[in-house]
Amino acid sequence: MSKIPLPLQVNGDTHDVLIEPHWTLLHVLRGPLGLTGTKENCLEAECGVCTVLLDGKAVNSCVLLAVLCRGRDIRTIEGLGRPDQLHPLQQAFIEFGAAQCGYCTPGMLLAAKSYLDEHPNQVPEPDAVREAIAGTLCRCTGYQKIVDAIRVAAARMQESV
Amino acid sequence: MALSNRFAVVGHRLPRLDSPAKVTGLQTYGTDVVLPGMLYGKLFRSPVPHASIRRVDVRAALAISGVRAVITAADIPRAWYGPAVKDMTALAAGRVRYINEPIAAVAATSLEIAEQAVAAIEAEFDPLPAVFDPEAALAPGAPLIHPDWAEYTALPVLSRGGNVASHSRIHHGDVEAAFSACFRVYEHHFTTPSVHAGYTEPRAATARWEGDGSLTVWSNGQLPYEVQATLADILQLPVSRIRVLVPGIGGGFGGKLRISLEHHAALLARAAGRPVKIISTCEEEFTAAHPRQASIVTLRTGVARDGTLLAKQARVIMDCGAYAGSGPGTAAVALQIVAGPYRTPNLQLEGLAVYTNKVPSGSFRATAGPMGNFAVESQMDIIADDLGIDPLELRLRNVVRDGDTGPSGEPLSAVSVEECLRKAAQAIGWHERRPAPGRGKGIACGWWMTTGGSSGVYVKLNADGTATLGSGAVELGTGALTGACQVLAETLGLPLDAIRVSAVDTEAVPYDYGAQGSRTAFSVGNAARAAAATLRDRIAAFVADRFGVAPEQVTIADGYAIAGTDRMRIGEVARLVQLAGGGLIGHGTFIAPPPPHDSSRISNHPLPAWNTPSFHAHAAEVSVDSETGEVSVERYVVAQDVGFAINPAGIEGQIEGGVAQGLGQALSEELVFHEGRVLNANLTDYKMPTAMDVPRIDSILVERASEAGPFGAKGVGEPPCIEPLATVANAVAAASGVRITRAPITAEKVLRHISGQTSRCDSA
Repeated sequence: MSKIPLPLQVNGDTHDVLIEPHWTLLHVLRGPLGLTGTKENCLEAECGVCTVLLDGKAVNSCVLLAVLCRGRDIRTIEGLGRPDQLHPLQQAFIEFGAAQCGYCTPGMLLAAKSYLDEHPNQVPEPDAVREAIAGTLCRCTGYQKIVDAIRVAAARMQESV
Repeated sequence: MALSNRFAVVGHRLPRLDSPAKVTGLQTYGTDVVLPGMLYGKLFRSPVPHASIRRVDVRAALAISGVRAVITAADIPRAWYGPAVKDMTALAAGRVRYINEPIAAVAATSLEIAEQAVAAIEAEFDPLPAVFDPEAALAPGAPLIHPDWAEYTALPVLSRGGNVASHSRIHHGDVEAAFSACFRVYEHHFTTPSVHAGYTEPRAATARWEGDGSLTVWSNGQLPYEVQATLADILQLPVSRIRVLVPGIGGGFGGKLRISLEHHAALLARAAGRPVKIISTCEEEFTAAHPRQASIVTLRTGVARDGTLLAKQARVIMDCGAYAGSGPGTAAVALQIVAGPYRTPNLQLEGLAVYTNKVPSGSFRATAGPMGNFAVESQMDIIADDLGIDPLELRLRNVVRDGDTGPSGEPLSAVSVEECLRKAAQAIGWHERRPAPGRGKGIACGWWMTTGGSSGVYVKLNADGTATLGSGAVELGTGALTGACQVLAETLGLPLDAIRVSAVDTEAVPYDYGAQGSRTAFSVGNAARAAAATLRDRIAAFVADRFGVAPEQVTIADGYAIAGTDRMRIGEVARLVQLAGGGLIGHGTFIAPPPPHDSSRISNHPLPAWNTPSFHAHAAEVSVDSETGEVSVERYVVAQDVGFAINPAGIEGQIEGGVAQGLGQALSEELVFHEGRVLNANLTDYKMPTAMDVPRIDSILVERASEAGPFGAKGVGEPPCIEPLATVANAVAAASGVRITRAPITAEKVLRHISGQTSRCDSA
């Protein structure tokens, strides 16, 4: 199949990639771009481990065609924060033990960021957090420490505004 | 909740060592491995449940551009493998025994080309009579799934025959005589379905043959040394020619104990002359991985008028599917579970692992635990209600206590089941068991082993004062290795962040029995403690010599070796010993000795008595919607004896996650089969709990120190998954009067009971 050029803006960098038209954003991120922090599992938008931010909103990158992302702002876990510059969500996940195997963690963090960005300056109720992350399956934690970490991060983000 | 904070590192809520990598996307997993020149592998699988293979034609597949290898059973060594019974081949040889059994494998330059090649493979089959129900498989004249079963190599302890892959027994006293003297005898049947472990990272393997003819495999399995040994069987190579690395694992829960795709990747890579990577699809996970066995438990229990248990008879059938897998061990361990943590003077327990033409099963967190516990603890409530005794009180009258013996005649110590029951009951508010119409509370207790198995570690002291732990135990997500590192840090007098964990590589790290059986923190922790002790001796000897004192006068604390007024940083000791004597490396080992027991009670049981058992009680409050039958878990409490809480936060995480899995099995999870075909092989129709389905879980950590565990610890990881099914079943019964004996407890089943239409589904 012939490839087409596609400029993709990921974590603030513009990448010129050659893609096949049916490739998903997940495939382009993990393959040509080598951004393996975004995880793959069901490839059917059921488990949520592939969640990234598209123009700030959480999306399942496994069912999103890469060509549809032209000119849009893509943010992956690699763009959220580094070990020496952690985002408050990442810091809270570490403190609370919200990551166990860690495979859902990148998607979970970005789902949480999307929600908190849409609901700034408040500490969401636990049920609201649970609803916000319900699209990402975690099999390790029972979600409790994830919910606690997100709420504490929200409080800290509010204080730091 | 840790009661003991007299230590500097253990007993503290410290962040996991691997969490910075995991929250930043830097952690590498099996699915992330990419090698230069790598091909993509794909399996051609059986469309039928039981058949002779008449013909496999791969010519059209081989002709596709980009296809570099296509292999069938004819192209590979005729080698049999399996953890208990060597009844499997890497690709079906002559016969298929379940839908989606691998028949051929393809390697191509892209996954899409590999998929096209698989679609181009032609096969013809001569159908054989299939059997899907394990009770039908036990019937005289049932089709034999393994006609050559007697030819297979198996663990010598197993008793096998026909469709029975193993038959274990525990027997004590005279059950029939006791039943005839009982005030009442109860008999019930319970069933549980096959369920998937649900790890979020699919199974993946990448294989590369090296210039010297050896093999390197990147696995995301829980037991790298078992993968190595199994590959040696399949490839007919010495183990030293096989190097297994585990970069990281996205959850396992037992579902990644057994070899998954490593052998297929290795065989394809050898045929293609290039590295090959294979990742399991979601559908393959549900149809051809290693789910938990479905079970049928028949339980007959005799009691005195006051509820004292006098005799118990049980028959446990584990549906292994087409290959024995972990079934023999699961069917055997079920016997300790159905005995329960109860004094019972007469026991006659048997467990059968039975072949059927369905997906082969493996292990899932606490193997037989949820199945057996569902039967025992549901029946305890039924008995209590019938005798008019409070269910908590009935349990307290019968639970084992210090000095009692277990079902195998093993002496029990550090027994805490009463304490767990009382604490769980108090936390849930047991005095008000039915607080409102449609609301009710349930309680269940149980016990589980801390699996023994050997551990070896190397601990290297670095010149900067840190230490590196080398272990064949993988961190599959439980945090157990952080726990082991806390033990190491405490013993060496270092902070936790001075400990590093080396990569898991069978060529570089010592043998470990593997991340299974609630044993990693326990066994690796003990081995690390042993290694630390030898290091302390060497440090003391070196420093004593340097400062002219006796080694006994040297103390080690806070990163220093201290001799009177002289002191030297541990890192400086390591640096000097590197220069003078090859460095400071400690080797530590641990093996739990076999627990003493009465072998006359045991027949054909691979795990006759449990090492360092743990005890636990769960309690839940549920509401049942009388119009829809829907069950909502409103509150959930766990009281678990962990011996000593090495890391309370990590243990809470294990409890919360284990309960969530248990609630999935209680309420929604089930592989639905029709004629051997899985009907719900996707994450929409196989319903795992989301964040909205799991209630808040309160953990009470009971610390009744064990003799053998590091700082008194007991195994932690598996138990939280054992009791939720029975706890919810009992709470649903309290809330609605509906007693479900066929898991899962779906709204549909509850509603049928409420509306009196019970004949078609779930009543015994």
